[in-house]
Amino acid sequence: METTLTTPDLHTTSGDQPVKIRLRNLTKQFTTGGGPVTALDDVSLDIPSGCFFMIVGPSGCGKTTLLRILAGLDTPTSGSVEVSEPAAGRPGNSMVFQGGSLFPWMTVFENAAYGLRMRKRPKAEINEVVGHYLSRTGLSKFSHAYPHQLSGGMQQRVSIARAFSNDPDILLMDEPFSALDEQNKLLLQEELLRIWEETRKTVLFITHSVDEAVTLGDRIMIMTAQPGRTKQIVDVPFARPREVLELRALPAYGELVYSIWGQLREEVQRARTQDEGSVKS
Amino acid sequence: MSVLPGSHPKILRKSGISANNRDRLISIASPIMLLLLWEILVRIGILDARFFPAPSKVFETLLVLIKDGSLWANTWASLQRLFWGFLLGGLPALILGIAMGLNHTLRALIDPLVATTYPIPKSAIFPLILLIFGLDEASKVVMVAIGVFYPVLVNSMTGVLEINSIYLDVGRNFGANRWQVFRTIAFPGAVPHIMSGVKLGVGMGLILIAIAEMIGAKSGLGFMIWNAWEILSVETMYVGLIVIALLGFLFSMTLTEVEREIIPWKKTR
Ligand SMILES: Nc1ncnc2c1ncn2[C@@H]1O[C@H](COP(=O)(O)OP(=O)(O)OP(=O)(O)O)[C@@H](O)[C@H]1O
Ligand SMILES: [Mg+2]
Repeated sequence: METTLTTPDLHTTSGDQPVKIRLRNLTKQFTTGGGPVTALDDVSLDIPSGCFFMIVGPSGCGKTTLLRILAGLDTPTSGSVEVSEPAAGRPGNSMVFQGGSLFPWMTVFENAAYGLRMRKRPKAEINEVVGHYLSRTGLSKFSHAYPHQLSGGMQQRVSIARAFSNDPDILLMDEPFSALDEQNKLLLQEELLRIWEETRKTVLFITHSVDEAVTLGDRIMIMTAQPGRTKQIVDVPFARPREVLELRALPAYGELVYSIWGQLREEVQRARTQDEGSVKS
Repeated sequence: MSVLPGSHPKILRKSGISANNRDRLISIASPIMLLLLWEILVRIGILDARFFPAPSKVFETLLVLIKDGSLWANTWASLQRLFWGFLLGGLPALILGIAMGLNHTLRALIDPLVATTYPIPKSAIFPLILLIFGLDEASKVVMVAIGVFYPVLVNSMTGVLEINSIYLDVGRNFGANRWQVFRTIAFPGAVPHIMSGVKLGVGMGLILIAIAEMIGAKSGLGFMIWNAWEILSVETMYVGLIVIALLGFLFSMTLTEVEREIIPWKKTR
């Protein structure tokens, strides 16, 4: 088997690509009514430019927090974040938020065009780019609808179109496909792979699905239960471009999914016993 | 026979329509019945016509006041003061309220001032306003402005504070500057609250314009009512009351319509 499982220590320097994101000893604590909560604990990480980087981990382990810090929406308690400069005129990062983040007062088109409009791009460009991504996410017919007139999965697709239309250097995707049905998920995964092949952006992608992580990613970070640390970083060796269904038929695919599941299950169980412990005490 | 299965839904639908119609009929009929009862009670002498003139008499007076043009002149005078008062009080309140919702320093600075001055009865400061702005138009406009200012301010601020913080995160992530956040997130997100502030403000404005015109004016609906008392024309007083009530009703109808137009994301359900 060609699967390489590597510890985070071996990955502090990356291979052929320059480092896009460098995290050093990143720690984030929240102060809550019940005392401080450590969401991230001493996370150090290098993500090469153009890497499709997947993050899996039990619920509440700090995945969203990590993305929010990278997006500049939260500040770390300690540690450092270095992100290399985006090309001129291109935004640093755009986030596909977890859950309903569409503006209810804007139509599908206006929502998807938000980033470009804020950057005052010419109208013709906005129409072309947004039209392109709305059609690739299967929403062209709904461009004048309001979010409340769409299903949850369709809303999530608008939010994806919004991030892609903005053409950022780094895409931050927080469980973008979790509200989708299996068929649409498969279609959008294939679509995402195709778009990514064209642009080769750096992508950070959170998911609860190990299948999704192995299907899409170049590299998978498994996080520990809260407080979130790097448990393991796994390279995904499959060649690109990938065909989702063909890939899933490979024996190596199943083996990789199985081994990651093993790691993840330990953490999910740990999170559970932690939870029961805190209820008893 | 297929009578039962066929007729059942029909009966349901029929009773639905007729219940609707009956309600509408009742709500039209009840004021008419009340007026009729009033008229009869005055005619047979149970109600004192010096305080409660018969509706027919009030209607006669209404026609007279329309014909001599004084009703329109007074209504127009009040409407103008309401309009300018609304602009003078509502617009700054809207902008300041949204800004306070977005900026906690500004909120910390101004909130205590609002909290301490809000409870002062606006009618109680009218003498002071008269002293400062004199007997001319300005004092009435300022009164309306003060009445409108507070509810619009407080509701605009609340509206912004209640916007889900994820929308502000989206704004930040997609590079919206201050003005863009104001225009694309804070204002539209707060519009439902702002509209209820405006409705409260309209009610307040009507109360205050009536009071202000009773004391320091030579025109307006408030003046008309007060003057009617001085010349003991109870019917004119009633005409004034009816017109004010009608204005209030029309304003709230219009605002509800405006609300439906500018909040399309809540219209289609
Ligand atoms: N604003 C906040 N204030 C206080 N605690 C917070 C805040 N945001 C997150 N946390 C806590 O930090 C921890 C990590 O939260 P985070 O949202 O990053 O988890 P997650 O890995 O994205 O979980 P999920 O998979 O369920 O989305 C949780 O314990 C959460 O309770
Ligand atoms: Mg999350």
